[in-house]
Amino acid sequence: MKPLQIGYLLRSGTTGFVAGCSVSQLAAPGLGALISAPLSSGYQVYGLIHDIHIDDDGLVRQLVTADNISPEVMRDNRERRIVPVEMSVLVVGWEQDGRISHLLPPRPPLSLDVINLCDDDELVKFTGAGSFGYFRHVLRNKDIPVGDVLAAHIQQAGAAHALKGNQDWQGKAAQELIVLLRDDFPTLMTVLSALGDALPFGK
Amino acid sequence: MSIDYQQVITKIREIAVTAKQNDEQVNARRGQAIKLLEANANQLAELKRKVEQTYENDLNLRCAIPASEPLNATFDPPEPPSQVTLIAADGSQITPDRHAAVFFSLINVGVIVIEPGSMKAPDVFTFSDIKYGEELFSETGLIGEDLISLGRDLAERQKLLELAEQYPAPVIALTDGPVEIWGPKGGSNEAYRQTLETHLVILRKMQERAVIPGGVVDKPGANLVVRLLEIAGLHIDELRDIHKKFPLRGVTDLWLFQQLLPPGERSAVFGLQSSSQVHYKGDLALHFFYLNTSRDDHPNLVRVEIPAWVAQDENKLKLIHAALISQSRILGARAYPYILHRAHEIAVVKFEEKQQVEQMLMLELRRNGMMVGEPSSKQATKDLPGRGSK
Repeated sequence: MKPLQIGYLLRSGTTGFVAGCSVSQLAAPGLGALISAPLSSGYQVYGLIHDIHIDDDGLVRQLVTADNISPEVMRDNRERRIVPVEMSVLVVGWEQDGRISHLLPPRPPLSLDVINLCDDDELVKFTGAGSFGYFRHVLRNKDIPVGDVLAAHIQQAGAAHALKGNQDWQGKAAQELIVLLRDDFPTLMTVLSALGDALPFGK
Repeated sequence: MSIDYQQVITKIREIAVTAKQNDEQVNARRGQAIKLLEANANQLAELKRKVEQTYENDLNLRCAIPASEPLNATFDPPEPPSQVTLIAADGSQITPDRHAAVFFSLINVGVIVIEPGSMKAPDVFTFSDIKYGEELFSETGLIGEDLISLGRDLAERQKLLELAEQYPAPVIALTDGPVEIWGPKGGSNEAYRQTLETHLVILRKMQERAVIPGGVVDKPGANLVVRLLEIAGLHIDELRDIHKKFPLRGVTDLWLFQQLLPPGERSAVFGLQSSSQVHYKGDLALHFFYLNTSRDDHPNLVRVEIPAWVAQDENKLKLIHAALISQSRILGARAYPYILHRAHEIAVVKFEEKQQVEQMLMLELRRNGMMVGEPSSKQATKDLPGRGSK
């Protein structure tokens, strides 16, 4: 199946990168989604979307002062003007020749590399490899909404695993988080609270 | 710091004192202007004759000519049309720079098409034309800023005509600036003459296809109606030296119509007495009206230039009036037509883009084994990062 392209890379580092897309491409990616940046043959970097950001500009600020905005003007600004949507991505692993690693990648993607949204197969492949090692990249990052990003991610990945017949993945992921956060009670509570809102545990 | 603010502030204080004295004088003239406008509001035929007589004494006379509406008439904004296509074009250019590494010019035209009420996203177009080498020379030598501006103006209008044919009627084709193409007058410049001829062909084709051209001049600086009032106030004998007489100096059309026009309303339509009227004749004779695009007590005046065939058709006048008012409502407090702002935004060539094109050109020339120049030492020094001087 052809990968679903959601944008291009704007800037990057080893631990994260920012991708840009037009507003019309925004329907596909969501918070917590797993994305990939395919680089040279067989090598690609994986990441989780932790923020989606839309900048304003002078014209948009002026338009919001008007009483109402016509559909044509709305579509002009969303589809015709250069207003990139920026997606901040946390790097969570990489793949070389089919082998998944949950370590940080040897090198980051480059400017204008294509960014794809991972489908269910890739999501299951990446999250099912190893034993949730990529969670530490999320948990050590105190500047992102850890609970909500993890809840969204586990919800999406859990559904993909369930479709493939693995009903246990979601529970195991939650157990792993409890173990990893056993010495960080405030973060554990934040994550469990978000998971409680997102997942059907005990409901 | 490059300005000696101590010197400047002294002069600024003097200016402020003088401006206050001048303001009192101008206020008195403003009162006179209002009286002249009221007194001559319906003397259209007599005023026309007076303008004709004045023109005989001053072939460079530039002023308003009364048309069929009283001088002080105002007209409510009509209801927005249920179906109209709006097209706006704007252009920008890169002129050849002898200090740059390569010598080239570029004309960039941006066009936007909006069909209000259609729920469709507007269509946007960009047309970029780069010129290099022999293309940069006219019969008289290297083309300068004037000729490139003429080329840009013509390209804007050509694109308006081309695109207007592809959209449902009625179509209003707008430019930022007057309909009239400016250049060295008197037919002395061959390039200007050719541009003008092509422009007239475009305007005729627009008329054939019922495409309504409109040139929008924001915050207009020309005092065409005030000049008409000066003529109205002078005795016939005094008109011989009209080029030396400015009894209403300091009074502006902008001020006059700010007093006259409530929000959304247009003024009477006037003809344009100018040296270019020998070119723009008959149905293409240039006319204009003032329009207050504001929606509140803070007026925002634009001057809208139209050809005679539009000026004489009440429905078309209403169409362009209504379209400009609804476009000016979109930007909230800034009562400027949205479509014109977008055309500008699409057309404008940023400094970084200019550098990018220059780099691309240099690269391609080198790839083809050509020697590429360098920026002048003056330019290279200017481009150095620095802190300025004390």
